[in-house]
Order: sequence, then structure tokens, then C-alpha cells
Amino acid sequence: MVNIGLAKIACFVEKYNFTDPKEARALENFKFTAEKLGHRFNFMFRENLLEIPKYDAVFIRATTDPLFTAYIVSKTAWETGLKVVDDPKSIQICGNKIHLYSLFEKYDVPRIPTIIINKDDFHHKRILEIFRTFGRPVVVKAPYTSFSRYVEKVACETSFREVAKRFFRKSDVLAVQKFTPTAFDWRVGVLNGEVLYVCKYMVPKGRWKHGAKRRGKPSFVWGRTVSLKKENAPAKLKETALKACAVVGDGLYGVDIKEVDGNYLVVEVNDNPSIYAGQEDLRNKDVYEKIIRYLTD
Amino acid sequence: MLVVSNIDLTTDLPTIKPSTFLESSIKDFTLNINNDYRYLKTGYYVSLHAEILGNQVIPSSEDIVDAYRTPILLLRASKAGIPTVPYIVTSSVKQIIAEIGFPVILFAVNPFSYDGFRIAKNRSALYRAAKSLEMNYKFPVCAQPLKGKVVSFKSIFGKCEMDEKIREISEMVYEVFGIPLCKLHVQRVEKEAYLCGLQPLKKEELLPNDLKAISEEIWQISKNGEHRVG
Repeated sequence: MVNIGLAKIACFVEKYNFTDPKEARALENFKFTAEKLGHRFNFMFRENLLEIPKYDAVFIRATTDPLFTAYIVSKTAWETGLKVVDDPKSIQICGNKIHLYSLFEKYDVPRIPTIIINKDDFHHKRILEIFRTFGRPVVVKAPYTSFSRYVEKVACETSFREVAKRFFRKSDVLAVQKFTPTAFDWRVGVLNGEVLYVCKYMVPKGRWKHGAKRRGKPSFVWGRTVSLKKENAPAKLKETALKACAVVGDGLYGVDIKEVDGNYLVVEVNDNPSIYAGQEDLRNKDVYEKIIRYLTD
Repeated sequence: MLVVSNIDLTTDLPTIKPSTFLESSIKDFTLNINNDYRYLKTGYYVSLHAEILGNQVIPSSEDIVDAYRTPILLLRASKAGIPTVPYIVTSSVKQIIAEIGFPVILFAVNPFSYDGFRIAKNRSALYRAAKSLEMNYKFPVCAQPLKGKVVSFKSIFGKCEMDEKIREISEMVYEVFGIPLCKLHVQRVEKEAYLCGLQPLKKEELLPNDLKAISEEIWQISKNGEHRVG
């Protein structure tokens, strides 16, 4: 393929994006790939946001959320007419799980059974009704969850109330899901309606999610990432991932899916999916080039 | 027309509470009346729920997210021809001093702040203001040069009891973002006025006259079918 012209790409990052060597290496891989294709690729920090209009495209790698600086970057780039990944609409939908699950329900995406609760309708009877519907334990999720944070398992009314009270401080609406333990979650990377990579995010031994807080410590323990060639992944898995992304947009997403009795149930669609060197890219080396080409198309 | 309100209005039109609406699947044009539309708050979720149901709604969830993030408010306002002053988004006090100087007006770039803005006239005041608004450097701030006097006022469906220049800004902000109830901050520089920021109202700020004005606006919208939908 011939490159028509040189594009200037800004990659919006925060300092923490360089603390994990695997993520730092992936960022360098993006830069190397872009430059190999004849483009300019600069890391942009929050002190340089005035420079956004000087670029042709913005690639956001800092954590996104409508409350974070990344949203300001995305919306500014979008309003300025630049190509942007992640686009503001995707951040709005994926950054709020209530928005996401409501769309899954509306468009009948196979999903983990979910009930949405609001602060003014949270009482004893409602809690009992949820336990009756889903059994115990259930998973309480704040809408702004990311990296396995703000997702907690509760088995009794007391702990349900305690977790909900904490999450309700920030959001007036929460999600409650059926507890569905599996040894791993599928992670399907999707770009512009096509599967980009497929991985298994393993759940650490004795835990129930990919990233779990160490008892009494602020740090997290993460499960292994097992990468597969996307061609070798089950067709139904990929089909489910693409269906879930279709209700969000045509950007870059990481879809978390649980396999239960041969069925694929979507846990969530994440914008701004993790891309770490030696993990998501291990069996799908073209990840970097495809993203850069999408940004400069 | 369906009116969803967390405020006790004096209108004869049927209104329902946000918690009732959030549990419902009523399909109708939805007018969302709330003193606080901030992201993740009930006012936001009412608009989101209406959109998911396929309803036309005032205000839209996207406009809500944008209006309360000061840099996006100013960017979209400026594109729509509303007078604004240049701003920067940064966590660096040094950058604010270098690019704007003093006096400077700072807005938090997080939607949790009820406290509005801070004005800093010197370096130490700027450090204190930035630290507080950045929530210990988690978020940046939006800094604008302070050229005149800041005027804050209630905007009800874009209407306010201010002079003509400010009234124009208030009406245009409602045209662009459609937030029925909010507090606007405007810089008055001699005879000109410039939009600075937008904030939620506290319920206690709504006086009996305001409630009457809100009810009259709802009645007008219902009567004329003036559904401002983007």
C-alpha cells in the first residue's frame, strides 16, 4: 500500500503509561511503526493540549473516562475535525457501564444477566428480589469501573449495602450482575468492525477476576495473558464480539467475554483496550500497523 | 410530552419523579427538569434512559457531559459564536503563569466541584487554587485570563434577569447545549461579556419566582411544541 502523504499523529499519554515496561515497549512499537510508514508520531502530555490542532490524528493511550483529561483531548480533537481513537462517543458509552448494558439490552447482545439499580430505589425488598433472581453472591459494579476496580462480590444484605453506599457516592445508578465464575475471560480486540487480536485473560488462582487486589495491600495481582492467533479463535466468539462492538461504534475496542456452557456472554466492551508488548500482540504482530493505518486512513 | 422532574413544580402538566422514570419504559418526548445534570447524577441518567428508549429529550446526555467540562463548553460555545476568552488546560502552574499571567480565573476540569471557580492574583494564591481544584493533581484545570469582573447568575431555559449582552449569552448557551436549569459564569469587560463556565444549581437556589418561571416555560413548550432537539 502506498502512503499518500505524511500524517502527524499525537499519542496522548500520561506518565503512568510508561511505568510498566511492556506498555512502554508497546508505545515505542506504535511510534516505530508509524515512522516506518512515513508518519510523524509524537507523545503528547496534558501540558501540550494546545497543540492538538497541529496534528492530523490523535491516538489516546491514557485511561479514558468522561471525567478524565482524555475526554477533553478526544472531544477537542473531534470538534477540530481530526481522526481520533478513542472517539468521544465511544468514551461516553464504554466509560459508563449503565450506558453500555442498556444498549446491550436494547440490541439483544448476549450478555451476563444484569439489573440496574438507582439510589432512590435501593431498599431491603429490592435487595432480596435481586438475590432471588441471581442467587448469591452477586457482583456489584460501579459504572466507571476499569482495570477490575470498583467491581465487588457480595453475598449478604449488609455487604451489599456497604458496597452500594460506597459506589453511590459517585454515581446515582449502579449495575448488579449474576456471579459467573470462569477460569478466564476472552479478550477480543476489535478495530473498525474487524477482529484485531484474541487473548485469554486468566483469573489468578483463588480469585474471581483477572485483576484482584492483594489482601491488606494497595497493589493488584494480575492473571496471565494467553495470546491466540485470531484465526484459531472460535467463530462464534468473534461474531459475538463484533455484535457487541456494533452497538458502540467503529473504533478500537477490547471485548471481555465469558464462555459458559458453550455460550458466549459479553461482560463489557472497553474502549482504550490495553496493548502490552508480548501479550496482545504476541500472535498478532500486525496490531500496530493496522491501528496506525486506521488513524491515517 | 413527558416531564421528569426532581423539583416540585407548580405546573398542571403531569410530572413524574426521576426514580419512577428510570424504572419505566414510557416512550414520549421527554423534558428532563433537574437542578443538577452533572455526569453520573440522576439528571444525567434520566436523559440517558430517555435516549435508550428512543425518546427525544431535553437535554441530551452528550450535551450534559460537554456542558459541565469547561474546556468543551468553551470550545463548542466559541464554535457557535458565543464570546469566550482564550483558555488553557493544564496541571502546570508554571505554564499558567507563562501563558496567561495574573490575574487568572481557574475552573476545575472535573464535574465534582460545586465551588465554581477560583481567582488568583499572585503565585501563592495560584498554587493553592490549582492544588484544590486539581484534587491533588488528579485532574488539570482550565485557566482563563481575568480581564474584568465575573458575574454569576441563574439561567432558566436560557432566560435570565441581566443586561442585554449577558442575556444573549444565556440564550445562546441554551440554544447550543439545551440545559434548562444552570448557573452561568460570565466575564464582564467594559461593555462586552464573555462566557466563562457553567455549573449546577442547588435546589435551595431556586426561589418561588424561579419555580413559576420554570412552570411557565414548560407550559409554553407543551403548548407550542417547541421541542428543541439536536
